[in-house]
Amino acid sequence: MVIYGGDEVAALVLDIGSSSLRAGYAGDDTPKAVIPTAYGYTVEQDQEGGDVAMTEATAEGEQTETPPKRTKLYVGQNGPSVWREGMEVGDPVRNGLITDFTPMPSLISHTLTEVMRCNPAEHPILVTEAPWNTPANRERMAEIIFEEFQAPAFYIANTGVLNAFAAGKGSALVVDIGHTEASVTPVVDGFVLRKGLAHSSLPTLVRAHTKHLLTYPAYGRQGIQLFPHQLIAAKQTVDAGAAARFTLREDRVVGTTETWKAWYEARESEEWMQSVAGVLDQGWNDQLAAQKGARHYEFPTGYNTYFGVDRLLVGEQYFTHSPQLQASNSDLPKTIPALISQALTACDPDIRQVLLGNVVLTGGGSLLSGLSDRLQNELSRNVSHSKVHAPGNPAERRFGGWLGGSILASLGTFHQLWISKEEWQEHGKAIVSQRCK
Amino acid sequence: MAGPSAADVRSILSLPNLSTPGPSQPRKPPATTERARKPEGISRELYSLIGPSAPTLAAAQLSKPRLKQKPNLGGGGRVKWEWRSFKNGARNDPLRLSHWVKASTDPEAEYKFAVYNVQPNSYTYSQEEYTRWLGDKEWSKEETDYLFDLVRSYDARFYVVADRYEYPESNRTMEDMKERYYSVCRKLVRNRPWAGDDASKANLLASLAFDKEREITRKGYVASLETRTASEIAEEEALYVELRRLEQNERRFKKERDELLRTLLGIESGLPDIMADEESLNATTTVEPKRSRKKGDTDPPVSASTSMNTISLGQPVPRKQSAKSAAYDALHCIHRTEVPQTTTTATKAAHQPVYLRSYKLPTPKSATGPRIAQIMGELGVSHTRLVMPTRENSAQLESLLEAAGALVETKKQVDRIEQEIRIAQERLGKSSEGGDDEAMDVDENDGEGEANEDGRAQSVVSTRSSRPRK
Repeated sequence: MVIYGGDEVAALVLDIGSSSLRAGYAGDDTPKAVIPTAYGYTVEQDQEGGDVAMTEATAEGEQTETPPKRTKLYVGQNGPSVWREGMEVGDPVRNGLITDFTPMPSLISHTLTEVMRCNPAEHPILVTEAPWNTPANRERMAEIIFEEFQAPAFYIANTGVLNAFAAGKGSALVVDIGHTEASVTPVVDGFVLRKGLAHSSLPTLVRAHTKHLLTYPAYGRQGIQLFPHQLIAAKQTVDAGAAARFTLREDRVVGTTETWKAWYEARESEEWMQSVAGVLDQGWNDQLAAQKGARHYEFPTGYNTYFGVDRLLVGEQYFTHSPQLQASNSDLPKTIPALISQALTACDPDIRQVLLGNVVLTGGGSLLSGLSDRLQNELSRNVSHSKVHAPGNPAERRFGGWLGGSILASLGTFHQLWISKEEWQEHGKAIVSQRCK
Repeated sequence: MAGPSAADVRSILSLPNLSTPGPSQPRKPPATTERARKPEGISRELYSLIGPSAPTLAAAQLSKPRLKQKPNLGGGGRVKWEWRSFKNGARNDPLRLSHWVKASTDPEAEYKFAVYNVQPNSYTYSQEEYTRWLGDKEWSKEETDYLFDLVRSYDARFYVVADRYEYPESNRTMEDMKERYYSVCRKLVRNRPWAGDDASKANLLASLAFDKEREITRKGYVASLETRTASEIAEEEALYVELRRLEQNERRFKKERDELLRTLLGIESGLPDIMADEESLNATTTVEPKRSRKKGDTDPPVSASTSMNTISLGQPVPRKQSAKSAAYDALHCIHRTEVPQTTTTATKAAHQPVYLRSYKLPTPKSATGPRIAQIMGELGVSHTRLVMPTRENSAQLESLLEAAGALVETKKQVDRIEQEIRIAQERLGKSSEGGDDEAMDVDENDGEGEANEDGRAQSVVSTRSSRPRK
């Protein structure tokens, strides 16, 4: 059936982000499987007959990094988020790039065979990559897909381009605020302008700031303890702002590793940020911030309180750095307006107008309330004509890259671009950069 | 017991008893048959409730509701789809992907998306061609090759080409690349044998033209457009609004003036929406209307009210004369003259009403007027009134008047200079007796010549007097 040039060949789309790994069939509008990219691992010998016990880490030999041999990986929804004694949590993706390929086969095979219940050897697989991905990285990914999963065909596409496609645009300025990286990618006719690409680890800074804001005493409250619910045996209802009364599960506290605790605390503070934090849409203004009103939030310990101005300070970090912070640290990640202007300056004057008329805001981090309005205001303050395309549907922003891949891989005209297994065997790694421009 | 039956009534009225069964006869059989054939379109439950004794209702129920016919959306029958592997003609390898297709389609058919795999025609050159035509001191052959390779792989998207351009020790702008690429293409087209005609070659060359300087200037303008400050933009907006306001004022003024002219002058205003009376024009053929807008009789008269909105103040646009009106003109000795089109139609001076040609004869200036009249009188020509003011006659009179004017002017000049010479001679004679005689002689002669003629020039027009001066 030919609808809008589509031709489904049951391709799989795999979008590996810093926080989650999305997989699904091309042509769908949401991924079938969404699992955290982080993975848990234990180095003990005991074979804990877990329901999610994954395959042994592949003994490739060339991987000298952690985890060492005889490790057991825990991936998926019940992977790192389940408390296990002595389980460490590893993060294979740093700054949007896969830095640790060891758990990748396990993560992918868990997603494809356990969650989606399909055989990867029967489907062409499209994988996404960050715009600043290295050639070595994408070749490694191609190797994994072809050698480990025996896929008949493979393609690696850029998330910047895919986000533009998801918004229905061939040329766009993609503002992608992810879990660890914020990037501004100029896309022209489906090609990333690499010289205009700008990215910084701004979301990492914002999350660190959030955690700091919560855990240190400020705004007339004690520092908040971010114990995850797995470690809490009992808690009592307390009034808003009152000290939490809870008892910890002492049996678990001992076996909790630092990495797991840090991962979970980051998750707690991020959850707080997602549900409470916001940003003023007209720039910082104390009065307006006070008018916005406080929001209530309860932590797993039972501590609950109302967050007023401080919840709006968090989002402000995306647009401006406070003078104190700038004074203390000269090497701050660039704010979003700075990234945009950096990207535009590197582009040809002719193309700037086109890009500004097609700003695509995407990424899970962009769902912070008020952020799209703020971006629109910041842009219209500085340039005469700009239009921000920010889908209202949260799934479209969280899975923008995946969605673009889903569109791309279901196009009839795209099927000539797949790198087939034969081509991989014949040409080797060179074919990847040759085909995926 | 039983009352009078129908048969009794019949017998009383002496009606023929037509095979109707008597009342004693059982009515069972027909009733059963009626029940047996339940009318269609009525449900069993309803029928058992109302029975056959509700004819009206039954009749209403019996007529099937007339619904619009359901559209037959193709098929009706089942369509078999199958998961079939296919070969993509746009690929060079034997990869077979699979998709769902109708089982009825031809399995050997060409993949329908393969036709979209069009390769834009790209220019290539041989080593020989390069050395003969394409050498450039700025570009090495290797770099040119690299550029062409990039242009080919990115389908001449120069934004992308400029972005991906990474040639060692070269820092090229997009304009450099475009210039090089297009100049090479132009040279190839120009020097290679061309199969088509010259026009298509010229077209192709024109499409490959690239002006680097102009492009850089344009980009500069685009960039400067972006760097305008908010106040500059506001000023621009204000100026634009002002301009619009002025234009509007102008238009209103124009309209009002037209109204006024029309009211005051009527047909003489020359405004296009007032139709001249054809009859009167025919009667007075000597009066040659300058307006070229007069058309054949076939045109319906335009009412002033309808064309009010569409009039333009300037001269009416000359229309193409039809053959008929040309014949009409010839018959009635009408010459149509092109009224000079003025570009500034909005100014007052642009307006030109109808006038008679003889009125427009130049009247001599007041200063020289009597002299010219004198000349004219000597020639025996009346310059104030032409007996036959035709086009040629009035033109000739005009030129004659002009010549007379020039003559008078020249005469005046001559007189003045002679006077000066005389004064100078007298002065010279007083200061140095016998200075340079030769020069004086020349002057003397000249002056004498003039003086001799002077008497004649006073009365008779002489061209000789003006000749030596010119």
